[in-house]
Amino acid sequence: MGEDTLWSNIFKKEIKKDENIYSVLKRVPIFQDLSWRELRYVERILHRRTYKENEIIFNEGEPGVGMYIIESGSVYIKLGRAQKVLAVLSKGDFFGEMALLLDSPRTASAVAGSPLKMLGFFQPDLFSLMETRPQTGNKILRRLAQMIAERLRQTSLENNAMKQKLAQYEEKTEKVT
Amino acid sequence: MDTSGGKTVKLIIGLLVLVVLGWFFYSISETLTILIISFLVAYILEPLVSSLEYRGMARTQAVLIIFVVIGIFVAGLIAIVIPPLVNELKTIEHGLSSGSSAAYFSKMETWLHDQIPFIDPNTMHLQEKVTHALSGLTQSMFSIIGSVVSIVTTLIIIPFAVFFFLKDGRDMKKAIVSMIPNRYFEMSLNLIHKTDEQLGSYLRGQFFDALIIGFLSIIALWILNVPYFILIGVFAGLANMIPYVGPLTGAVTAIIVVMISGGSGQQMLLVAGAFAVIQLMDNVLVQPLVVAKTVNLHPLLIIFVVIIGGQFFGILGMLLAVPVTGMLKVLIAESMNSMRRYNIV
Repeated sequence: MGEDTLWSNIFKKEIKKDENIYSVLKRVPIFQDLSWRELRYVERILHRRTYKENEIIFNEGEPGVGMYIIESGSVYIKLGRAQKVLAVLSKGDFFGEMALLLDSPRTASAVAGSPLKMLGFFQPDLFSLMETRPQTGNKILRRLAQMIAERLRQTSLENNAMKQKLAQYEEKTEKVT
Repeated sequence: MDTSGGKTVKLIIGLLVLVVLGWFFYSISETLTILIISFLVAYILEPLVSSLEYRGMARTQAVLIIFVVIGIFVAGLIAIVIPPLVNELKTIEHGLSSGSSAAYFSKMETWLHDQIPFIDPNTMHLQEKVTHALSGLTQSMFSIIGSVVSIVTTLIIIPFAVFFFLKDGRDMKKAIVSMIPNRYFEMSLNLIHKTDEQLGSYLRGQFFDALIIGFLSIIALWILNVPYFILIGVFAGLANMIPYVGPLTGAVTAIIVVMISGGSGQQMLLVAGAFAVIQLMDNVLVQPLVVAKTVNLHPLLIIFVVIIGGQFFGILGMLLAVPVTGMLKVLIAESMNSMRRYNIV
């Protein structure tokens, strides 16, 4: 009896922990097309990191290597010398995904807002996934491309709206003068 | 005052740690050699495993298949190459003590005496010296394997370590990365990735270059009917990693063997010609295709590290010196580069 409880406790804990991670991963758009098996494989290659409150995750201007997914805790995304807070991210949110494709410097800094647990998915991992499991790699890459295309579309729409506003403003100023 | 005192203490502790580490690595050098060899072999085989994985195979399965194929290949090679190789080594020593080479050596001694009169042929003992040097070579050829604990343990441990490096290499890398503090984590990951890329192409390039040159030398020497062609070919392939001196050593060894075995001057010329052609092919065709130009080691540096490798670890040290120096160069250059990009130095 005692042994049964012991084993069941161990397994229950394990399953609970796994479910937590998979539910977090499933919320990340780039992993949404993955099957349960593929997700388990990806989970194996992810890097698990823990941070203390106010610990720097990365600094603006440093070369980016990949993205982070928040398992628990919160992250401040800060910009410039004044460290203006652009966003506060929490469980299930992710950031830094552009660095999966681009070797460019980080555009903002990330700081732990509370004791933090994160999963890191980095460019070398994505590349090696594309080499060894191309189907899984392709699914992630396609989602990543869709996400970036969507952002580009949004940016274009915003850009157009801004242009229109600017044109209206110019018209108004012309009328006044 | 305090800070400078603290710095001195830190420096002394750092130096002590370095000395202890140096002593530790030196005292476990035999085990370290096994590890380095296994690591290099695993590194060379890695793309094969990945390409099988790409075709939908599980990693363990892929590693097993590669091991079986290589096992069959090595067993075949041992069955074909080792008996003649042992024979060759035996006949070298036997040939040296036989009458024909004795006559050749005395002829050479008189010729030397004619050219340089102040040399006394009685004190030269050319044959004795060459026999001694060659038996030393024979011994050290065996000591390559023999010195590392024992042949059996080495033959078991190396494949065993290669198997696990290939199967669990990624998990090992991940485990090492997980121990790195957050501040240096991204930098280290970047560093490992960049080093991996450069090192992989460098080591595979060196390996294939040595393989192709060794193979070409064996064929050329076999066509030219040079005795011990397999042994010299293998040596020429490995020596080729050392610029300038390496290829020359291979050629000179072959010419000396032709000379000792009483070959004609024409045969010697043909052997020299063959090595010149192989070198030309190496420089024009093989090297530009397989050897990564990213790891450019200065010839002087290579020669010194080869000597140092030889001093500490014998012939095996000489052979491992070039790839290990290449590895260190990539690691140091990339570390400096990364630290600069992350504003650490």
